[in-house]
Amino acid sequence: MKTRILAILLALLLSVGVLTACGGNRDADVHVFYYTFSDTYVSSVRGTLGAELGRAGFSYQDYDGNGNQTTQTEQIRTAITKGAKALLVNIVNTGSDDAAQEIVNLAKDAGIPLIFFNREVSDTIISSYENCAYVGTRAEEAGILQGEMIGEYLVNNYDQIDLNNDGVISYILFKGEEGNNEAIYRTKYSVEKANEMLLAAGKPALRFYDPANQNGYHVDQNGQWSSAAANNYMNTALASYNAANGNMIELVICNNDSMAEGAISALDAAGFNKGGSSPTIPVFGVDATEAAKTLIKDGKMVGTIQQDAAGMSSTLSLLTANALDENKELMSGTENLPVDEAVRKIRIPYAKYLG
Amino acid sequence: MKIKVIEKFKNMDKRERGIYVRELLINNSLYIFLVAAIIVIQFANPRFLSWPSIINIISLSAANLPIALGIAGAIILTGTDLSAGRIVGLVSCVAAALLQSNDYLGKMFPGLSTMPIFVVFLIVIAIGALIGLINGFCTATFHLHPFIVTLSTQLIVYGGLLLFLMIGNNNGQSLSGLSTGYTNFIKGSIISLGGTPIPNYVWYVLVITAIMWVVWNKTTFGKNMFAVGSNPDAANVSGVNVKKIIILVFMLAGVLYAVTGFIEAARIGSNSANTGLNYELDAIAACVIGGVSFVGGTGKISGVILGVVLLRLIFVGLTFLGIDANMQYIIKGLIILIACAIDMRKYLVRR
Repeated sequence: MKTRILAILLALLLSVGVLTACGGNRDADVHVFYYTFSDTYVSSVRGTLGAELGRAGFSYQDYDGNGNQTTQTEQIRTAITKGAKALLVNIVNTGSDDAAQEIVNLAKDAGIPLIFFNREVSDTIISSYENCAYVGTRAEEAGILQGEMIGEYLVNNYDQIDLNNDGVISYILFKGEEGNNEAIYRTKYSVEKANEMLLAAGKPALRFYDPANQNGYHVDQNGQWSSAAANNYMNTALASYNAANGNMIELVICNNDSMAEGAISALDAAGFNKGGSSPTIPVFGVDATEAAKTLIKDGKMVGTIQQDAAGMSSTLSLLTANALDENKELMSGTENLPVDEAVRKIRIPYAKYLG
Repeated sequence: MKIKVIEKFKNMDKRERGIYVRELLINNSLYIFLVAAIIVIQFANPRFLSWPSIINIISLSAANLPIALGIAGAIILTGTDLSAGRIVGLVSCVAAALLQSNDYLGKMFPGLSTMPIFVVFLIVIAIGALIGLINGFCTATFHLHPFIVTLSTQLIVYGGLLLFLMIGNNNGQSLSGLSTGYTNFIKGSIISLGGTPIPNYVWYVLVITAIMWVVWNKTTFGKNMFAVGSNPDAANVSGVNVKKIIILVFMLAGVLYAVTGFIEAARIGSNSANTGLNYELDAIAACVIGGVSFVGGTGKISGVILGVVLLRLIFVGLTFLGIDANMQYIIKGLIILIACAIDMRKYLVRR
């Protein structure tokens, strides 16, 4: 009996909670699907985009795909049956075209404009539906800019960075996720571009610190681009490659700023990168999060690549306004933005951030 | 004892001896594997057994030990706890938010000056205990399997964590810029071994492990926990308050997750919604490898330590060997499977 009363009480409590938690807009026009709420950069887009859409007077609803394509596709199906008028999709699966094509087909059948953002889909997918566009970055660009930034920094400070004076700079690289295009390009171009600049300056190419590692990177096995993964790898690497052994790792390249933070935390524990005049191993990231900017200011990190969350949000808001206005083309008003020639893809530029 | 074993061995005939040796090898195969792995890795990379490397393995293990000790309690009750990782995540974000340094630009609560470390520790312990209380209460009162209960609370805690990260002027960003007092308290070092500093949290974990050993082995609560784990009905008949024991075990587990989160926040230095993700799976694996059986009612602190160290050794060893990360999944999976099979064999033999 007692148990039953408790169960009923709990159920009542829950229903009250659910009802009060229903603060979201129940008949939103714009439905925004994020690949996961736990991603730092995507969270800043969520913040600025929400503000932009609110300012423009649109009702909107956010969804968390929680890193699962099945979840996201089901959310989109539900939103369409609910009467969505515009779909903004930050797709989970960038590895194959199938998921994106399915979403495009769903939107096309229902006649709802569809805008992909942040995580890129193929040109053919965008072109297969006239009311479909993409707002994002050029996936190669972050890696290329990071590589240039690293190359420039190394050429200017070569002898200082080459701690063991063997003439070669040994580096460690942290990859955020296997099978993600951004991660693949960042991993590839950061080293390639830096090497190009080093060779042009008459210096030898970079060398991965551990000759036994064929990949030339360490990857977050959970695919979360997490600082914890970078921290564990960095600690382990520092256990055998350190100042005492005379073969310190001389450069740290990270796919994003969270991983850079984790690596710096490990370097701290080993007596490096504590700011001020302490010995510092150059660390590079991508995203320009607030935390990374502070680290750069404090001299614990060298540079990062800025993704323009505000620019991304204002462009998305512009396209959303077009999508909701029957008299306008989806791409009207984007003449001055960097749009691809062959396909409706708007590229928000990255920028180097050195403090 | 040893002499008796030798005498017993002498009295066996050839066939019995064969069986005895085989059993001995199978039952200790994990230890044999451990030693073999260490030898192989050491030959491939002679720095594996240097001081910095040994201390790295110890500190990585120490960081993962409290959560495993917590989950071990739930497993002894034939249960499990899927909410552990998310509790670690919530706690580390709360601790980080309350202990950001005053001059940090992206501070979550700009008006709030850095709180005393001890007060924050008590706050996060209370959070862990509260969630543990909910887990234990629902398990004991509604006779639900903890798998279901913690599957639910895990989602609730994650939702709470996402909401928490959006408040203040944080806007979902990761929490960093921790006060130096806090990071020094966790990551700083007072003792070095072979020139390599041992982080302070290793000592805290050592103390906690000692306390847990006493709790498991020397207290009535510990004895009752094992009794409830092996047979709740029998325990009930002999006067044990089963409901109270279940609730206390989960609360204790919650406290240990909070300790993990409190250490993790400063150890990693950057805390986001994915902090703690999947930690419970590693912790459960460590317990199972260490002989904390899903059958219930059995398990030793030393076993949990062995399991945690073995998993960290796999991680460090494969990194040292430069083996592809994909292989880690396969090797880890095989080890868990073999460990469970060996464990189950003991019970089958007994029956």
